[in-house]
Amino acid sequence: MQRILAPAVLIAMFFGVSRVDADQALLRAHCAKCHGGKQPKGDFELTALGDRPTKDNVDLWEASIDYVIAEEMPPAKQSRLSADDRKRIASFLQQGVRQYNRQSNESKRIKPRRMNNREFENSVRDVLLIEDVGTHLPTDNLIGDSLHNGFDTHGDTLGFSMFHLEQYVEAIRKIVDATIISGTAPQPQRYEIAPTEIISAHTSANITRAERPGLPGGFDFLDPARRAYFKSFKEAPETGFYNITIRCTGKDRGVYDASETGIYADDPIRLSVQLGARERVYDLPDEEVIEIKMREWVAAGSSLRLQYPTDGLRMRGNGNFKFQNAITGEYLKEHDPDRYAKVVAAIKTPKSRRVKSVDSWHHWVDDWMGARPRIFNAVVEGPFYETWPPQRQVALIGQHPQAVNAEAILKPIAQRAWRRDVRAGELEPFVHLVQSKSDNIGDVEALKEGIVAILASPPFLLLNRDELAPQERFAAKLSYFLQSTIPDEELRKSVAAGKLDSFAGVRQEVQRQLDQSKLEPFLRAFPFGWLELNDINFMAPDPDRFRHYHRKRVSEDMVDEALHFFRYMVEQNRPVSEFISADYSFINADLAKVYGADGVPQDSEFRRYTFSDGKRGGLLGMGAFLTVTADSLGTSPIHRAIYVMENFLGLHPSPPPADVKIEEPDVRSAKTIKEILEAHRSEETCAACHRAIDPYGYAFENFDPMGAWRDEYLVEVSATDSNTKRKAAKPETIPIDASAGFQNGSEYENIHGFRKLMQNDANRDRFVRCFITKLLTYANGEEPHDYTEINDILAKSAENDYRIVDTIAAVIDSPLFREE
Amino acid sequence: MISSRRTVLKGLGGAVSLPMLESRARAANLPSKVPTRFLVVGNPFGAHPDNFFPADFGKDFTISPTLESLNWLKDRMTVISHTDHNMVSGHGREISFLSGVLPSDAQAFPEKNLSIDQLFARHVGSQVRYPSVGAAIDGGIRMSWTANGVEKLPITDPQKLFDHLFLNLTAEEKAIRKEMYSRNRSILDTVGSRFADELKNASKLDQERAEQFETSLRELERSFSDRSTWLDRDKPSYDITDHFSQSEVTIANRYDAIFDMIAYAFQTDLTRVASVEFPASLSYTDIDGVNRSYHGCTHNGRQEDLVSELVAIESFQIARLSRCLRKLDSISEPGGEGSMLDHTIVLFGSGMGYGGTHSNRDLPIMVAGGGFKHLGHVDARDNSGKNMPLCNLYVTLMQRFGIERDKFNTSTGRFDLDFAGV
Repeated sequence: MQRILAPAVLIAMFFGVSRVDADQALLRAHCAKCHGGKQPKGDFELTALGDRPTKDNVDLWEASIDYVIAEEMPPAKQSRLSADDRKRIASFLQQGVRQYNRQSNESKRIKPRRMNNREFENSVRDVLLIEDVGTHLPTDNLIGDSLHNGFDTHGDTLGFSMFHLEQYVEAIRKIVDATIISGTAPQPQRYEIAPTEIISAHTSANITRAERPGLPGGFDFLDPARRAYFKSFKEAPETGFYNITIRCTGKDRGVYDASETGIYADDPIRLSVQLGARERVYDLPDEEVIEIKMREWVAAGSSLRLQYPTDGLRMRGNGNFKFQNAITGEYLKEHDPDRYAKVVAAIKTPKSRRVKSVDSWHHWVDDWMGARPRIFNAVVEGPFYETWPPQRQVALIGQHPQAVNAEAILKPIAQRAWRRDVRAGELEPFVHLVQSKSDNIGDVEALKEGIVAILASPPFLLLNRDELAPQERFAAKLSYFLQSTIPDEELRKSVAAGKLDSFAGVRQEVQRQLDQSKLEPFLRAFPFGWLELNDINFMAPDPDRFRHYHRKRVSEDMVDEALHFFRYMVEQNRPVSEFISADYSFINADLAKVYGADGVPQDSEFRRYTFSDGKRGGLLGMGAFLTVTADSLGTSPIHRAIYVMENFLGLHPSPPPADVKIEEPDVRSAKTIKEILEAHRSEETCAACHRAIDPYGYAFENFDPMGAWRDEYLVEVSATDSNTKRKAAKPETIPIDASAGFQNGSEYENIHGFRKLMQNDANRDRFVRCFITKLLTYANGEEPHDYTEINDILAKSAENDYRIVDTIAAVIDSPLFREE
Repeated sequence: MISSRRTVLKGLGGAVSLPMLESRARAANLPSKVPTRFLVVGNPFGAHPDNFFPADFGKDFTISPTLESLNWLKDRMTVISHTDHNMVSGHGREISFLSGVLPSDAQAFPEKNLSIDQLFARHVGSQVRYPSVGAAIDGGIRMSWTANGVEKLPITDPQKLFDHLFLNLTAEEKAIRKEMYSRNRSILDTVGSRFADELKNASKLDQERAEQFETSLRELERSFSDRSTWLDRDKPSYDITDHFSQSEVTIANRYDAIFDMIAYAFQTDLTRVASVEFPASLSYTDIDGVNRSYHGCTHNGRQEDLVSELVAIESFQIARLSRCLRKLDSISEPGGEGSMLDHTIVLFGSGMGYGGTHSNRDLPIMVAGGGFKHLGHVDARDNSGKNMPLCNLYVTLMQRFGIERDKFNTSTGRFDLDFAGV
């Protein structure tokens, strides 16, 4: 308590009362004119700050600090505030907030929340000591989680109802049933699968015509949208290990041109084997037969499916594979005229049908020579068990589980599931459940009921409950933050031994997890949420105008680019500021086409690429950001500005008032978005906010809805008279003005200047602070509110050159994460 | 006693005989009056205003392009202009359609962001097999919320809806299901006996989420016990294969199947509250003239071809509803006067005004059926020109549904729409 009060006392002694009064007067002198009177600008009245921050206005104080430091308020053009006085105002505001934060009795403790579905799957897996929740899609029934600002860990958004509880019980039951098997071991069977018994399934259950089987010479994967199955092994009859052998090869790689098929000649032909959600992907050698051998624990009822994973073969018409067959005709015409003539000669049109041109895809289906996997035959054998009962069952409940030993059997399971030590007598109701059921359903089945009950309990399903001891809570919290699952034994021990009480200890633990590849869940889920990548196709670029985007599933590449970049930053421990300043990113040939990047190898692999044009590199040039913020036909500087402010700078512009009349964009008009916004800004009520918002978005106007560079807008002059059916006139072009000025007087001409401004000290600090806030939001499931503590993390990050691993460690070591 | 009505029905996906009414035959204590039902249909992006709202007000209004398929019902519907929840613009607020309250503001309301359909479902309670039924194809639009502030998700596959409503289990399956219910109840008992008290006495910090858990435990236990009882009684049988007999099944087929199942579930008193959602994620390209995504069409930049695609999607939604209302109107109310439509309050609308402007003002709202003295096209603004809170309409619907309250979430009064009696 003394430590907390000390700074406040010092301030009062050092400055005295008069100094504070003088600061107040300075603030009034430079701010009250605009932020007072009948129509205060930006809907902010200076008097709302009062003498000192309170619970209700501390956010206004914090926003004011940011504006003043960034020199956006008072605006440079209209103010004669000297640099020294600006510093004085900033430090007055900061001291106020610091004092408020230090004295505030507000608890840093975070409310418990339901674990999300991702965490549920990982946690059940680790409690039951299995490789994944199973191949029978046992969690498919779960109610989907809603996102909050992209994150799936937001406590208020993760509701809990009887529907959730029921679906959890059902899912847990299915997972436990595929882990513990009572009775005697089923006998293995051998399924020899001839190519004619491999069937290409329809993509929809509503199609009634027959499905295509393989030929005696092999089963070829043609349409990547379709999955194949083995006729005699549609699903696994029993749970156990299965040996799967597939004799296969890659056919005809590079015969057709990549520009025709969308399959790069350098990409290996792959085969995907899918057991429920478990997918194994194999690279197949060209024209050389290999045997793929797998041994997998498969749950009863799981389906086995095979597929050719590629983003190609959707280049014609509406993206349906069948239209691609026309390529064969074109290819043969040029390379094999004899065969071409043969096919053409054989074309017969039934009298009742319309005559189709020889180029039509219909005639060329049987001669397809696109890259594809071919399976010659396959063998599936199983179920096998290393021992009976199976090892996983023994590991969980022992060799001879008996209901009388229920307490001893359930205890370690409950300890893992509940992420804490089990208290004396606590398991009594669970033991009672097992023992009361065992007479009727047998000991093993009864123990399963006990396990299901443990996993349907609040200490499993709710994270961060108050009942946990501080060390238990910290270990679990750290584990869910970085690994989205229960803490492992090593982590719990380290925490208990006090090894993670310091920044250095935490730093070491994060590095240990990174080195052991345990950070995977964080490396995906955090950037995915932060950058709102789930929304990338909420407003996809128009399919007629941005064909490449749809035909090559470029949105997936864009998401992968962002994830690659984030992973690199963490693995190399780069400074957080490099998200903005980097002149590089990770791209493949599909993205190179969007970005106009030269010299990129023609394949799908992601490689580090340095942009020499100064337009791209880092987050600001990424297609993911530029697409997720664009409409399908046009771009909106406001959407992009708000994304930049909210996700990169931690600024929260207020939404327009409810009664504002919003002008609908009109792409037929020859007005640029800038002219439309200028008109909107001519109303003073709108202008106050838009002066602050719009400059963060104009710089991106040279990037079209898919994120490709453009020097001018195309105006679509659609035929106004639809009766004439005349072709639309040649589109007009309007040059793009991507310049703007901020309220602090700094200006930029285009993206080059904007990128520079984003790297100045004030904006770098904003970015790092925003990044820290996002980490805390993801980790805590709610937004942090303590400006001073966040600034302390920022200072710690700065001490370590803003290195990302150090910054993550500083977040974990902060009282905001520790909840102290 | 009802054998005279158990005649053969045509047009309900083949010929089926009308089974005993679900809830009434359950026991001797028959409900004393004919049930009132509620059907709500919603979408996430509102409607293109010029094409949705009729150009003129009053009882003799001219039907609008989007509502064209409801022309036959023109004298028995009310289209309301200038009503909304006073929300700022942008996506994400349409989820307040049936409550007027966003989840983030729910703490300020005693019933959180309870949606009107779930209020009705709670009122109906265990009088029927399913207090409410929600359906959609592909995904929902988040319009149903319980009094705990938790989303109620629709069933998003017609086949699953069919199984839920009409699939009867074999004796063996019933025995397995019963055993499962009983095992699950023992699990809930066990969890409850260890944690119920702890949850009830949770610290202030934990209270809210602990309560949610404790309520869920209790409700699920009761639900298993209700379901065990219902399990012994057969569901009415029904046939929807007609909708799926063509070689390509369209979204029209699938939505018509959903609406037919709901009509039949109403008719057999399996449920009295139903909601149907038209999600953003569904591909509407089956519809003639539609080539783009629903969301893409809303941001049409006023290009005529894109606007017409959007209006085609919106008209499609209305047409599916219109077909269902015709069906309800063609069936006389079992055990009552008038048609089933006269006893079914129908609401169409959205929590978003118009996606093209992201405006959440002036929501497109249409009420039909329910035995109201319908008003045609109404301007709901008050004398000072302010829009009417949509919750005022919900107060009116609520009172018609038999709930004697005069306030619902953000209501400030009631919308003047009188019950004509049937």
